[in-house]
Amino acid sequence: MIANLTGRIVAHRAASAIVVALLAGCLCPAHAQTSSKKRVEAFAKLPDWSGIWELDAFVGQSDGQQFSAEGQRKLKAYAEAGRPSFTPEYQAKYEQIKKSVEAAVAADPAHPPVTHQPLCQAPPFPATSSPGMFEWLVAPEETTFISTVGAVRHIYTDGRSHPPKDELWPTLMGDSIGRWEGGTLVVDTVATKQRLYMGELSGFFVPMSDQLHFVERIRMVNHNQMQIDTTTEDPVALTKPIHVTITYARVTDFNRMIEETDCEQNERDPVVNGRFTTVTH
Amino acid sequence: MRTKIALSFWIGIAAALMAGTASAHHSRAMFDSSKQVTLVGTVKEFQWTNPHCWIQVLVPDPANPEAAPVEWGVEMGAPVELMRKGWKPESLNPGDKITVVINPLRDGQHGGLVVSVTGPDGKVLGRPAPVTR
Repeated sequence: MIANLTGRIVAHRAASAIVVALLAGCLCPAHAQTSSKKRVEAFAKLPDWSGIWELDAFVGQSDGQQFSAEGQRKLKAYAEAGRPSFTPEYQAKYEQIKKSVEAAVAADPAHPPVTHQPLCQAPPFPATSSPGMFEWLVAPEETTFISTVGAVRHIYTDGRSHPPKDELWPTLMGDSIGRWEGGTLVVDTVATKQRLYMGELSGFFVPMSDQLHFVERIRMVNHNQMQIDTTTEDPVALTKPIHVTITYARVTDFNRMIEETDCEQNERDPVVNGRFTTVTH
Repeated sequence: MRTKIALSFWIGIAAALMAGTASAHHSRAMFDSSKQVTLVGTVKEFQWTNPHCWIQVLVPDPANPEAAPVEWGVEMGAPVELMRKGWKPESLNPGDKITVVINPLRDGQHGGLVVSVTGPDGKVLGRPAPVTR
């Protein structure tokens, strides 16, 4: 018993010594103070994007998951602005895929084919900010986007370039670098999945070229609104860039992020033979 | 409903429309949004789970009250979506008498997508559907 007590006293003294040493180390070195001051100044130059955000069309959505009339109007306006103009080669690809999806839907309308994206996967860029709620973490070196449906984007603002071409390959989020123009974050994104989503029928992708490229201008409009102006370019697949400006609203009826895509918890809409099904009990 | 909006559009908005809710978990095309069915029954189970919540409802046949009730499975949004609309994990309990309005499944199974739920006290739970669609 005495040995145990002695051991605890020794351990306590050792821990105290470590704490004192750490405090001294944090407070004393001149270089640490300078670095910290510069970092505080760098943070002070950044805008305050704190809070939780969502697509403005979701505001007023009912318990029955129906959009409000205003929400529907906004969605239609966004959809019209985002209508692509394909080059002849890609128009042909679009029509061919659409025809095959139409046939699949007609064959069994009650069980739509899975043609848009793998279930329970994070929404691919640039769909990252549409479903769910999201928040921003803004730091001098990087702005990070995190959503409740599993999307995480790393936008590097430390002055780096995109990696060389031989180090890039298509990923869900692509590679994003950004720079601040006042309170606007200008983001350049490459190396996303080479495809464009069409919302027709049950939704489907049209392949794009390896020149697919996005430029976003992200800013606060006021305390309760953010806007992301996105230009989608692909000189091989599109005859002209697509420009869409989407507004996001501050979430005021909820104050925490809760993940919502744990499909293993209770999956009752399994995919069977490439089609959605429902397990009623 | 989102499924009524048939346009070609840019991926971000398309995903929101396809989701119909905050969760892009699956298509809603298996539900017939042009129809509504009203179920009057008793809660067997309220599943407060990701990716979606479900209510299992035992619905007796008014024309044949002696027959065993039919079990319906009706689907809702993710817990976080419901919570924002006023729901809680124990908003419904087994044995509660409820009335549920759904968009039924197209394939004829006893299931559907919840439009609204009226609780045992006669009040609508959560946020009711908008008057204008």
